[in-house]
Amino acid sequence: MEEELNSLKENLEKELKNCEKEADVLNVKSKYVGKKSRIMEILSSLKDMTVEDKRKYGSLINNTKKEMENIVNNFLESLNTQLKIDFDDTLDFDVNVGSMHPVTIVAKEVTDILKKMGFTIVSGPEMDNEFYNFEALNIPKDHPARDMQDTFYLDNSMLLRTHTSGVQVRAMEKYGAPLRICVPGRVFRNEDLDASHENTFFQLEGMVIDENISIENLIGVMQELLREVFHQDVLVRLRPGFFPFTEPSYELDCSCLICGGKGCPTCKNSGWIELIPGGMVHPNVLRAGGIDPEKYNGFAFGLGLTRLAMMKYKINDIRVLNSGDIRYLENFKIN
Amino acid sequence: MLISCNKLKKHIQNSEKIDWLKIWDTFTIRCAEIEGVKEVGKNFDGVVIAEIKECVEHPNSDHMHVLKVDCGEKELVQVVCGAPNVRVGLKTAFIKVGGHIDGMEITSRPLRGIVSNGMCCSGKELAISDNHDGILELPMDAPVGMDLKKYLPIEDIIVEIDNKSLTNRPDLWGHIGIAREIAAITGNKLIPLEVEEVKNTKKDLDIIIKNPDLCYRYCGLKIENITNNKTPLDMQIFLYYVGMRSISLLVDLTNYLMLELGQPMHAFDARVVKNIEVDTAKDGDVYTTLDGVKRTLTKDMLMIKNGSKYFGIAGVMGGLDSEILDDTTSVFLESATFNAGSIRKTAVALGLRTEASARYEKSLDPNMTNLAIQRLLYLLRKENPNLVIASNLTDIYPKKLEEGQITLHKKNLNTYMGREISDKEVKDLLEKLEFKVTIKEDVFEVVVPTFRHTKDIFIEQDLIEEIARLYGFENFQPKPLKLELTVKEHENVFTQEYEVKHLLATKYNMHEVHSYLWYETNMLKELGILKDGVKLLGKQENNILRDDLSLSLMNIVNLNFKNYSNFKIFEIGTIIKNNLNKRVLSIIIADDEKNLAQVYDEAKKIIKYLFLVLKNKKIEISSNKETFNYYEEKLAKQIILDSEKIGELNILKNKYATKIAKKKIICTIDIDFDKYVNINKESILAMDVDKYPVVNLDYTIIGSKDIKYEDLKNILKEFKSNLIKKYTLMGVYENKYNIRYTLGSKSKTLENKDLLNFKERFIEYIKNNGLDIIE
Repeated sequence: MEEELNSLKENLEKELKNCEKEADVLNVKSKYVGKKSRIMEILSSLKDMTVEDKRKYGSLINNTKKEMENIVNNFLESLNTQLKIDFDDTLDFDVNVGSMHPVTIVAKEVTDILKKMGFTIVSGPEMDNEFYNFEALNIPKDHPARDMQDTFYLDNSMLLRTHTSGVQVRAMEKYGAPLRICVPGRVFRNEDLDASHENTFFQLEGMVIDENISIENLIGVMQELLREVFHQDVLVRLRPGFFPFTEPSYELDCSCLICGGKGCPTCKNSGWIELIPGGMVHPNVLRAGGIDPEKYNGFAFGLGLTRLAMMKYKINDIRVLNSGDIRYLENFKIN
Repeated sequence: MLISCNKLKKHIQNSEKIDWLKIWDTFTIRCAEIEGVKEVGKNFDGVVIAEIKECVEHPNSDHMHVLKVDCGEKELVQVVCGAPNVRVGLKTAFIKVGGHIDGMEITSRPLRGIVSNGMCCSGKELAISDNHDGILELPMDAPVGMDLKKYLPIEDIIVEIDNKSLTNRPDLWGHIGIAREIAAITGNKLIPLEVEEVKNTKKDLDIIIKNPDLCYRYCGLKIENITNNKTPLDMQIFLYYVGMRSISLLVDLTNYLMLELGQPMHAFDARVVKNIEVDTAKDGDVYTTLDGVKRTLTKDMLMIKNGSKYFGIAGVMGGLDSEILDDTTSVFLESATFNAGSIRKTAVALGLRTEASARYEKSLDPNMTNLAIQRLLYLLRKENPNLVIASNLTDIYPKKLEEGQITLHKKNLNTYMGREISDKEVKDLLEKLEFKVTIKEDVFEVVVPTFRHTKDIFIEQDLIEEIARLYGFENFQPKPLKLELTVKEHENVFTQEYEVKHLLATKYNMHEVHSYLWYETNMLKELGILKDGVKLLGKQENNILRDDLSLSLMNIVNLNFKNYSNFKIFEIGTIIKNNLNKRVLSIIIADDEKNLAQVYDEAKKIIKYLFLVLKNKKIEISSNKETFNYYEEKLAKQIILDSEKIGELNILKNKYATKIAKKKIICTIDIDFDKYVNINKESILAMDVDKYPVVNLDYTIIGSKDIKYEDLKNILKEFKSNLIKKYTLMGVYENKYNIRYTLGSKSKTLENKDLLNFKERFIEYIKNNGLDIIE
């Protein structure tokens, strides 16, 4: 009996090995574990056996039947789920990914940081008038900055804004004090193009108007901003500067990230890189924006977004930024 | 501007205690930016003063001489020299054997057969002048054997200050101003300038200022009997180090004063001066300046006139006929102050920016003109003890500039500084800069010296800057801003622009480009498209501001077709339409001509997707009669949102597209982004899901040849049944539309009879509308 049961099992396995299709397996299944199969015959003969034989073979027969059913079912399952295909993972293929302009990416990063410090992002017009671009910013009529050779004047007596600072007074008029804004935007200078000069580039203006704002707040915000932008602690140095719309005015330098402040060609061996001009908002500018300089003061700063993008991505020719050349731009995958 | 530390040392007490190499780092953060610090006079050693005792011609050379020189040693030294000015008795610079110049050691060696034990040097070889005509000629009283560097101020530190950082500091355009800052930074005192006072016992010069608004002050002095016009060597070296050529004593002295005090001066040959008039020019007059260039004048230009003829362009450059000549022994000294804006405009208009005009346009202090004359007189007298003062120091000064008075409130100072500063410290800091300070209970009363009061310091914030910079920014503690916790956002244009950019780049693999605000003239010409609009002044090319963002991107499309056969780009940018700024999102799909249908389809899907995902809004597309004529009329579409036009979809006409690239299609989408940002996002509401199964019924409806889906839709819209959940267009082939109806009920599972009933009614309805239908 034992022998027969074993050979039944072995034969089943042997026949299954030759099966390739589900139908073949099903045939084998009915032959070996179907209603008219030998094992069922044996099983049904069990009732005629002696008590001794029943005890001796009962569980063996039952177990064998279960085992055989399992073998067939497992085979069926594996036949259904096993894919016959194999892939060549070594083949090259392109993933099409779009790109965003490097300036867009940097602008997003900077504004995200400023937002965390409570700044909101506002915008202003690229074509503006002399009032907002100059007069309101305490830049008098005969100031060199207003010369034809620096500014794009238009035949409708408007101009293309030379800085995002024009939004300072616009925002003061619109939203009043207190105010905490940043303005990423495109500005225009009447310049000849070369590797480091563009007539169209991006700045980011920042301005805080509140009661009791100090130079120490300005330094604090700048340090925080730069640490987040460069993902490392940077040394910040303030130098006196001059801008008509801030008083006191500063040039903010950060320690050169290329050489770590030791001196290299990038920082002209000074160890510092001029990055953010700014200062305390001039009382005349506050007045132009309808804000009482006796009650409020504040600071403003300008960050060269294009410059920052060039530093960050080590872009050495500014002209590629406005070229629209996909070969160049597609490197700037979205991150 | 170049600054000599040797010169600064002469103006500061205890200057030897200052580290003149390191002080400039501090100067940068206290005052103005330094571009470079350079040690000069280090290129040689072992150079002494020697006297030529013997001089014979070199037997083997047509120009060399064999010299015996006394260089302070026991025996004369033999040296071969090729310079033309060698002669017995001349004292010169001599490098002894073992000395070095430019890294080379001087050895004894034969020159054309005769041993030379050293070398006589020219000023150029020593890098103390650009004179290479002969060896250096030293005065007769120069002590033989003395190290040349002890005799002349050859070793110096030359500092370059960034001119831009001095724009607002007229007082820093001379060494005195820089010395004052260094003295303030290091806590030292300035040494007063030595001058010669003029006792006005002679006659006044004939000087008239016709435009007191343009000429604030004019001082003149006539000096005669100037017989020595040779500039002392130390002054020559100074001038050379700070970038000026030595010409003659009189010219050099005017330059020296400009470099020392910052006051430009002019010395006219007194023989030609009759009377001086300061007046504006006549439009169109032509005048030849000192440099020999003929210049056309305008009525805005201020001139110096002599005997009613032009004599010089005020504050910019003198004329040819006023020049000092070799035989000049009497001069008319001019020291004047002019209106900064006027000088700047004249210099810019003439394209003639001189050292003088660069200073005048910063707004110089009129109170230093007479000092400059007295100082020049003092220096000139040193070289010409017998000079004669031939006139009064004539001073025409219509409106005197007085010192400024500013009240500085302690409260404001402390607010700006973010910290308290003691009264004494404030007083000390300001007084170092020659302000006068009176301490009162809540305020400081500050008197501003005139050299800081021409344009620089007028309000208390200006004083705060002075205090803050001398206090030292490195002594401030960064302090975070206090933040009121609100989520108030003034606008969200930037965020919305970023959302759209991100979606287009990630979902549709597009590339964001940036282009210019104006059309490229060449591209328009090549396409043959005429554009008009707001123009940039003074430009002939690329001067028309764009009113169609997509069209302005065509040169970028053109460029990229060189490298790609198909691509998608976008920009969110400004256009100028009806004299107004407008923001526009422009998308361009560029592909092969044969793919027109797919491109067109994709364009529509992109727009739909954009509005659905970012605004939860459905847009419609219909034909557009109002678009630019360079787009295909038949395919011109408008994008409608809430029954208002929000954009356009266009195909560039083939005749233009061909000029950009052959057999290509250029599809453009323009969305009015000003409108876009103002569309509120449709709020999302939860919807009940069907409890009972739905049934899909597919039909093919066949219309006439020229049917549009819109026509069919209008028909379908009118067929009512409460079983209809929705119907969807599954596909189109020519005039055959596959429509899928989804049917269901809220209250039960549909039975066969419900479906049969629907089918019967629907088929009949379609047929009644003149259409064929296949189940």
